[in-house]
Amino acid sequence: MKTIRIVVLLFITQSVLAQETFPVNGVSNNFEPIYAFTNAHIVLNPTTEIPNGTLLIKGNEIIALDSNLNIPKGAIIKNVAGDYIYPSFIDLYSDYGLKEVQRGKYNYRPQYDSKKAGAYHWNEAIHPEINASTEWSKYNSEAKPYLENGFGAVLSHAKDGIARGTATFVALSDKTDNENILIKDAAAFYSFKKGVSKQKNPSSLMGSIALLRQTYFDAEWYELQNSQTNLSYNSFINQQELPQFFAINDELDYNRVYKIAEEFEIDYILKGSGKEFLRIDEVANTEFPIIIPINFPSSYDVSNAETTEWISLQNLKTWESAPYNPAILAKNGIEFCITAADLKDSKSFLKNLRLAITKGLNKGDALAALTTTPATLIDINDKVGSLAKGKLANFFIASKDIFENGIIYENWTLGEKHIINKKQEIDVRGYYTFIANEFENNLVAIEGINAKPKLTLFHLDSIALTTSLSGNNITFSNPNGTFRASGKYNNGHIIGNYQDSLGNYHSFRMQRDSLFENKEDQFELVIDNNTPSVWFPNKAHGFADTPQYKNVLFKNATVWTNEEIGILQNTDVAISEGKIIAIGTLLNPNDYFSEEEYQTIDASNYNLTCGVIDEHSHIAISRGVNEGSQAVTAEVSIADVINPNDHNIYRQLAGGTVASQLLHGSANPIGGQAAMVKLRWGANAEEMKIAGADGFIKFALGENVKQSNWGNFERIRFPQTRMGVEQVFYDAFYRAKAYQKQWEDYNNLSQKEKRNTTPPREDIELNTLVEILNSERFVTCHSYIQSEINMLMHVADSMGFTVNTFTHILEGYKVADKMQEHGVGGSTFSDWWAYKFEVNDAIPYNATLLNNAGVITAINSDDAEMGRRLNQEAAKAVKYGGTSEEDAWKMVTLNPAKLLHLDAHMGSIKVGKDADIVLWTNNPLSIYAKVVQTYVDGKLMFDVEVDKELRARDKAERMRIIKLMSEDKNGGKKRKPQPTKEILYHCDTEHEE
Amino acid sequence: MKNRILKLAFALLITISAGAQKPTLFLGAKAHLGNGTVIENSAISIQNGKFQLIADASVIRIDPSAFDTIYRLNGMHMYPSFIVPNTTLGITEIDAVRASHDYSETGGFNPNIRTLIAYNSDSKVAKTVRTNGVLIAQVTPRGGRISGQSSVMHLDGWNWEDAALRIDDGIHLNWPASYYNTGWWAEPGESKQNKEYQNRVNEIETFLTKASAYAKSSNLMDLKMESMRNLFDGGKTLYIHADNANDMRDAIELSNKLHLKKLVIVGAEEALKITDLLLENSISLILNRVHRLPKSQDSPVDEPFTQVKKLHDAGVHFCLSYEGEMEAMGSRNLSFTAGTTVAFGMDYEQAVKSITLNTAEILGVADEVGSIEKGKNATFFISDGDALDMRTNDVTKAYINGVAIDLNNHQKELFEKYKNR
Repeated sequence: MKTIRIVVLLFITQSVLAQETFPVNGVSNNFEPIYAFTNAHIVLNPTTEIPNGTLLIKGNEIIALDSNLNIPKGAIIKNVAGDYIYPSFIDLYSDYGLKEVQRGKYNYRPQYDSKKAGAYHWNEAIHPEINASTEWSKYNSEAKPYLENGFGAVLSHAKDGIARGTATFVALSDKTDNENILIKDAAAFYSFKKGVSKQKNPSSLMGSIALLRQTYFDAEWYELQNSQTNLSYNSFINQQELPQFFAINDELDYNRVYKIAEEFEIDYILKGSGKEFLRIDEVANTEFPIIIPINFPSSYDVSNAETTEWISLQNLKTWESAPYNPAILAKNGIEFCITAADLKDSKSFLKNLRLAITKGLNKGDALAALTTTPATLIDINDKVGSLAKGKLANFFIASKDIFENGIIYENWTLGEKHIINKKQEIDVRGYYTFIANEFENNLVAIEGINAKPKLTLFHLDSIALTTSLSGNNITFSNPNGTFRASGKYNNGHIIGNYQDSLGNYHSFRMQRDSLFENKEDQFELVIDNNTPSVWFPNKAHGFADTPQYKNVLFKNATVWTNEEIGILQNTDVAISEGKIIAIGTLLNPNDYFSEEEYQTIDASNYNLTCGVIDEHSHIAISRGVNEGSQAVTAEVSIADVINPNDHNIYRQLAGGTVASQLLHGSANPIGGQAAMVKLRWGANAEEMKIAGADGFIKFALGENVKQSNWGNFERIRFPQTRMGVEQVFYDAFYRAKAYQKQWEDYNNLSQKEKRNTTPPREDIELNTLVEILNSERFVTCHSYIQSEINMLMHVADSMGFTVNTFTHILEGYKVADKMQEHGVGGSTFSDWWAYKFEVNDAIPYNATLLNNAGVITAINSDDAEMGRRLNQEAAKAVKYGGTSEEDAWKMVTLNPAKLLHLDAHMGSIKVGKDADIVLWTNNPLSIYAKVVQTYVDGKLMFDVEVDKELRARDKAERMRIIKLMSEDKNGGKKRKPQPTKEILYHCDTEHEE
Repeated sequence: MKNRILKLAFALLITISAGAQKPTLFLGAKAHLGNGTVIENSAISIQNGKFQLIADASVIRIDPSAFDTIYRLNGMHMYPSFIVPNTTLGITEIDAVRASHDYSETGGFNPNIRTLIAYNSDSKVAKTVRTNGVLIAQVTPRGGRISGQSSVMHLDGWNWEDAALRIDDGIHLNWPASYYNTGWWAEPGESKQNKEYQNRVNEIETFLTKASAYAKSSNLMDLKMESMRNLFDGGKTLYIHADNANDMRDAIELSNKLHLKKLVIVGAEEALKITDLLLENSISLILNRVHRLPKSQDSPVDEPFTQVKKLHDAGVHFCLSYEGEMEAMGSRNLSFTAGTTVAFGMDYEQAVKSITLNTAEILGVADEVGSIEKGKNATFFISDGDALDMRTNDVTKAYINGVAIDLNNHQKELFEKYKNR
């Protein structure tokens, strides 16, 4: 950090000197007077104010400031009595003065390799070599909106790519670029968005995360090696010393960045979304300073009841809560800055800032977020961010408190004035007597805003005339042009003349009898501290309170145990602390619970089962289920992108599903790592994960990976045939073996030898493959045709591992014996076929045939809709193949638990297992079975009665907010109601991050 | 085991009874007539391809000699053919194989296009659908503003002429959505209000007005106009595909203005908002697939399941369809969607009606099919168990016009082949 400070100081000194070296065309004129701003209300910093003080500046510097100052001779005195002076604002998230990064021409053919010439990174989204200071140049029309809102300096960088490069900190003055750059390289920026790069990779959020992680590893390795040059890494390594900024998309990204920060020990500063209130605990947990936009959503037009239904409760609640976001951050002790970025209209900046104040944001906190905090974050608080001797003359003058209704008159940057709103020095308003020859002693009222008064001459009309005021010159005329007057105001008198309809001039005189009562001064700050409640997630069906463990005794149920004892009638089950604690008849609650702390449920009309487990699901995933940009993407992980806000979680709980394997898609032979989750509605992404679960990875075969149905332009990526698919696997595993050997060799070196040897490059893709080879990670492989199924088992056998599960496995019945021999399980669709050429021989008897062959067989959804009625899909094994009901039921419970290595805790009703319990109205395999209750870990996640209450609550909440919205005056232009588009992922869904 | 012997006996009897003129009697089945009634212990006979006797076996006396064959079906269920309306079954085979698609013609207004002649009476997919009790389909074109004409087809036949039950029963019009989605499927943008909505509606009005004028005059032959002629005399139905309440209101208003004789709304996601209007105008509905996700994240989780019962209670006339992803192969699950409506409140026989008689009425084929009634086509099937529940649905015999159809299919053959490996 110290080194940066030195660089800064040197640079400022140099820039001053540099100006001297600029040749002058003509006679030099560099006299710098002292300006004295007197009688001002000076706000020095968030905690100190001088109610009546003087500010002295010379050149670009503040030379003195106090309540009682001797004004040097020759100083230009500006009496700003009553006005407020603030240190000018700082925006850390800007691209001011940089050309917008252009998106290249669309090409139908996919681009797999970088097209950037030079010794740079292989991926076009990683360009740390982009240096904002070399591209930057002042641009007055872009500076204007900043100046109008009180900003004096911004941190500018090109908002493009994942490793974006460095930012430069610049003042917003009209001086030369040389003088405006205050810190040449002030920060390095990152994001998860690949930006304008046309290269395929990364095509998903998890791909971006993996790419960035690998970049950190590569940089570590690069520093130690000397075999090649990569300018991107040179820049990347150099800029690690700078403040590290990370621009994120939504509140869920906080935890994602946090994990990277922990792994590589980086203290980021995060540019947030403005919706931090949605997951405030996770935001606070990072302990990172953040930058937030104040682009509060505008209100919707809710006049049409029917179209208003298109607005989700989520959007309504967000609209209500967003203006409280800054106050909520402050209350939670989170260090934050405010940016003008992301606003559709720069004019709404001050308006929204003031709205945030009325929603409980303390003025000091607001000022800190715009001055001292940003200055400190980039370590330039010795120059900007507050008003003090020796600091830069960056300040603005406002009529009143800027956080109430103050108008900015002037914004000074580097000691240079920008007039924002002309100050109306005199006040002509009041009630006058109009004296002229033609009409005597008529009453005149001049009202309205000081700078834009409106004059009413009651003799002519009771409506105000067209009035304009410039300095002390006032003109007023009636609409038909028969009366046009102009005059000069002086000391309560206006003297002038007017022209009548005949063209004759007459002189007039006006004398003020009384003053106008100035309503502008009557501003009253009303603070609304009723922070709206946040549900988890903050949308329909969200929980206001986190569900807690329940102690329940289910009496007289029909219990599908999935154990040897089979289906038990009139049986009691007791659960406590998230576990099943007893199963039996006529259980005595006193043996298990102390009085009053348990609940008895008469389950005599119900079937009680363990929860449904979906072996193959793509719900609850953020921004992309496929990283299909390469044939092998073992480096990416769904565990990085779990989306706990997906309402399909709640829908599936209502169908008895309690746990899912969230899989990468099937766009490539070796896809990404899976996430094992329980459907814990209301929890966060980390809490949804099943602790201690084994790691899995998605492989895929067939039409999807050879891009058969991607259109005619997708003929480039290897492989394009099943023949090529086999080679991808062999190649990957041979590479993994060689990599493993490299590390073994290195690790076997003595300490001394290690010092003289470059360690191998840490490769997260190959690390994952090595885990598979070592049976530390397990393969779930999307598969259809018997030939390819057979092939992968050969690959696995020769590489010394076992394929854990073939998913879909529609021709599994043709190779069931081989599967049984290999020891692989199957997770299939009950009856899907005819959607691709490769499913011609898919049959609904598959599950039965596999099961009969001794293969552990599951039935999965791969579909958000089917995932909420997997019990019905299991019943199809009874219908088509004649599987017994008990076995069929296991296909959606115990068998997937086995395939996912979760059966020690889940998948059956057994004492000691997790209390994942579902109560059904009927035999769970029947179409007539409905879920009454679903428990996950003994917590009630769905209940038909609670669901009714939630519906009523949601409806009431909706109507409450619509009423607020109807009354809203802040909204400006109202938005048309719009439905919220659902994103549903299947195996073959491609998505660009 | 007993069952198997019985089935063998059936097979023999069918061979013997071929060409016989005496009626065949189906005795003892629980007959769900399709019209909302059920006979627990039925005696139902067919002759010359038609239903003849429909009676309660516990009440009437039966003379065995009057029948060529008697099937004893105690404990089994009999249903009229389930009918899947609004489907591409028979004009597509494999979703991913473009060469197998014959459901969407290029161009905006294609009323003259006919699915009839593209119908594949040997569709492998159809053979897996009829084994679950669906023997009749309204084969429907897709795409464009006016997709073309559907025909009601049997899922068995030597060719399309042979399979046709009602040729060119109606024209399908895709009403513009007042709201539409932006972006593409992998990167969906926000949904937006359709600013072009009124223009699109005006185009429809212009087209239909011309068709109305054409129908009253006899000008030169215009294929498009000619195909629309019967919309104005009741010879054809106009099927308007619309989901938003606003769009359905506009569609009904236009239909009334132009004096269209028979309007059916297909989709009707928001039908519950306009039940009064539907009743006033006697508009029938072909509903979206019951097994779908709720309309929005705010919707109750069971919204699609309970909608059916609510519409029924409101007195709206409707039938169920299976339109959507993988609709052709998936239509074998039509009856299970009806089962779901029972779980969510529908009376069982009314649920049966929503995939039999109601459908036949809406498609204009109720004189011939849709229920087990005297004089109607003997197009029906026998299931070992409750056919609305996948747990028990087991179709053992199926008849089209009184002729037993082959219930084998590609999938069963593979099952048999690999089962006995």
